[in-house]
Amino acid sequence: MLEKLKRTEVWFKLVLLAFFGFWYARAFSFPQQSRQFPHLIAVPSLILTLISLITDFTKEKEVQGEIAGTDDSELTTLDESARKERRKRFWQAWAIILVSMAVGFLGGFLFSAFFLLLGFALLFGNRNNLIKNMILTVGITMATYVTFQWFMDVPLLRGVLW
Amino acid sequence: MDVFLQAIALMFQWQNLAALMGGALYGIIIGILPGLGPAAGMALAIPLVSSWSPVTALVFVGSLYKCCNYGGSITAILVNTPGDASNAATILDGYPMCEKGKGGVALSISATAALVGGILGTLCLIYTAPLLAEFALKFGPAEYFLTAILALSVIAAVVQGATLKGLISAGLGLILATVGYDVITGHLRYTFGILILEDGIPVIQAVVGLFAVTQALVLAESMESISRIGKLEGSSWEGVWTYFKYPYAVIRSAVIGLFIGVLPGVGQSGAGLVAWAEAKRESKHPGTFGTGDPEGVISSETSTNACMPGDLVLTIALGIPGSVAAAVFLGIMIIFGVIPGPMVFAEKTNEIYTLFVALILSSLVLFLVGMTLARYLAAVTLIRNEIIVPIILIVGLIGSYAIRNMMEDVMISLVFGILGYVMLKGGFTTVPLLLGLVLGEMVELNYHRALLMSAGSYSIFYSSTVCKILILLTIVSLAGPYLGSLGRRMKGRGKLIGKA
Repeated sequence: MLEKLKRTEVWFKLVLLAFFGFWYARAFSFPQQSRQFPHLIAVPSLILTLISLITDFTKEKEVQGEIAGTDDSELTTLDESARKERRKRFWQAWAIILVSMAVGFLGGFLFSAFFLLLGFALLFGNRNNLIKNMILTVGITMATYVTFQWFMDVPLLRGVLW
Repeated sequence: MDVFLQAIALMFQWQNLAALMGGALYGIIIGILPGLGPAAGMALAIPLVSSWSPVTALVFVGSLYKCCNYGGSITAILVNTPGDASNAATILDGYPMCEKGKGGVALSISATAALVGGILGTLCLIYTAPLLAEFALKFGPAEYFLTAILALSVIAAVVQGATLKGLISAGLGLILATVGYDVITGHLRYTFGILILEDGIPVIQAVVGLFAVTQALVLAESMESISRIGKLEGSSWEGVWTYFKYPYAVIRSAVIGLFIGVLPGVGQSGAGLVAWAEAKRESKHPGTFGTGDPEGVISSETSTNACMPGDLVLTIALGIPGSVAAAVFLGIMIIFGVIPGPMVFAEKTNEIYTLFVALILSSLVLFLVGMTLARYLAAVTLIRNEIIVPIILIVGLIGSYAIRNMMEDVMISLVFGILGYVMLKGGFTTVPLLLGLVLGEMVELNYHRALLMSAGSYSIFYSSTVCKILILLTIVSLAGPYLGSLGRRMKGRGKLIGKA
């Protein structure tokens, strides 16, 4: 039981249940006509999620459906070290994205672009390719500026600071 | 015939040819950038073309509109990120083909589909516009509501092989589409005081998050290049030969695309997905769909390319735009004094027929450009992850940002990126969610309109013959996968009993 709860699929369905329930309840504060459609969608979605969840717990053996375009990391057996390594890279990627976006808020999207390239080059790149990656970082940032700021008039240097 | 010869002569004037080429290249670039679809592309082009002659301007804008879809399919195939919602179906088999090193083949299939689907669609537009327009007018709100529900059911049931999860995903999309102003009463719903949500969840920002950000995270995690075998296989011409191996799929998808294009509101995203689902249902090997089956790319791409001229049928013949992009196109036509309606064919013969010729020629230009560039573009799939991941993020997020020049839009994309990633890990597909989000407003609007027309009676949803057919098709599409597996199980049991 607890093992099953650890699976992304199961806890995501629990979150969905709560979400659909909240959406349904919240709609009561709207006028009658405005709440009709959210109710119409939330109820069947809630029931379907519940059925799907019950199926997860009642089925003894996990049936692996053909899943188009999905990463099958949870369906195949990965050894613990590979799993840890993947998790580490995932969080590193998020850290780079969040820092870049924070910098973008302050100085403009161009800084986000630069920090994204720099972050991935430093944390994910091979040390042997460091100089090459740095040149690419500067080059791609400049190309981004020329393409979007010059040709498409997107304000890439508009942030909280200026 | 005379009008066509005159239009061809007009088309081959140097300024019109230049407009055709310029529009094609501009369209491909706009299509490549996630977030900037044909509607935004055409809107951005208005200041540029405003001083041109009506014929040249319409050639440029028509060519741009036609070529945006191919640009979107390039990113859908190479980096699993559709340039626009209309390319959502292409990722299902296009990207897995890339992972197998067949990115160049997938791109040339897409270019061939642009040629064949585009020409078939345009020819149908020329000869059947009045008939199709008349048929589409028989669709009332109840029929539109049921068409959208059918589209969602087909996708949910077939796209993933797990109907229940597909339906939950579609439900989530429809639910999220209720955020913002209610289309009927104008009441604000589910915005929680957040100003940017008042106009609803922006679809493009959601697309960027669900596909580009999610894909970047998956690539960052695995540290493999997109092409898992590390090399490119197959030539561009292989894609062309492969395309013509499936003539039935081509014709079926073109008909689906054209028909859906004629219906206002459903649009190219619905056309591609329904054609893909139909191809899977008809296939002798449905299990290969979603794993890099060329027939999947052929079906979705042919349908979306045939859909675009279909989209223009009502726009030109009756002045009713079938999509946001068609609405922008309609606006541009009006700016240049080409007022759509039944009389436009007689009053603005040169402009309209030159536009038709331009649409056919732009399909040819797309094919040539696509075939020339396919091999080089496919090399993207070999780029190291530390380079390609930030590039995917930059191009995707800049598409989000450029729409309103707001960092808050980038945040929306990141939130959808997390949602997409969790759904992926949980074995859900995000395609029905996207379709639900795109069709949500149209579904709700037609639901309320139908009830208003029937004074609150639900019988309107099953009274007409078209409604009955649509309900039947929805039931069949939902029950189909279960009946199929039941049949296979019974067949297997029969064999076991026979052996015993």
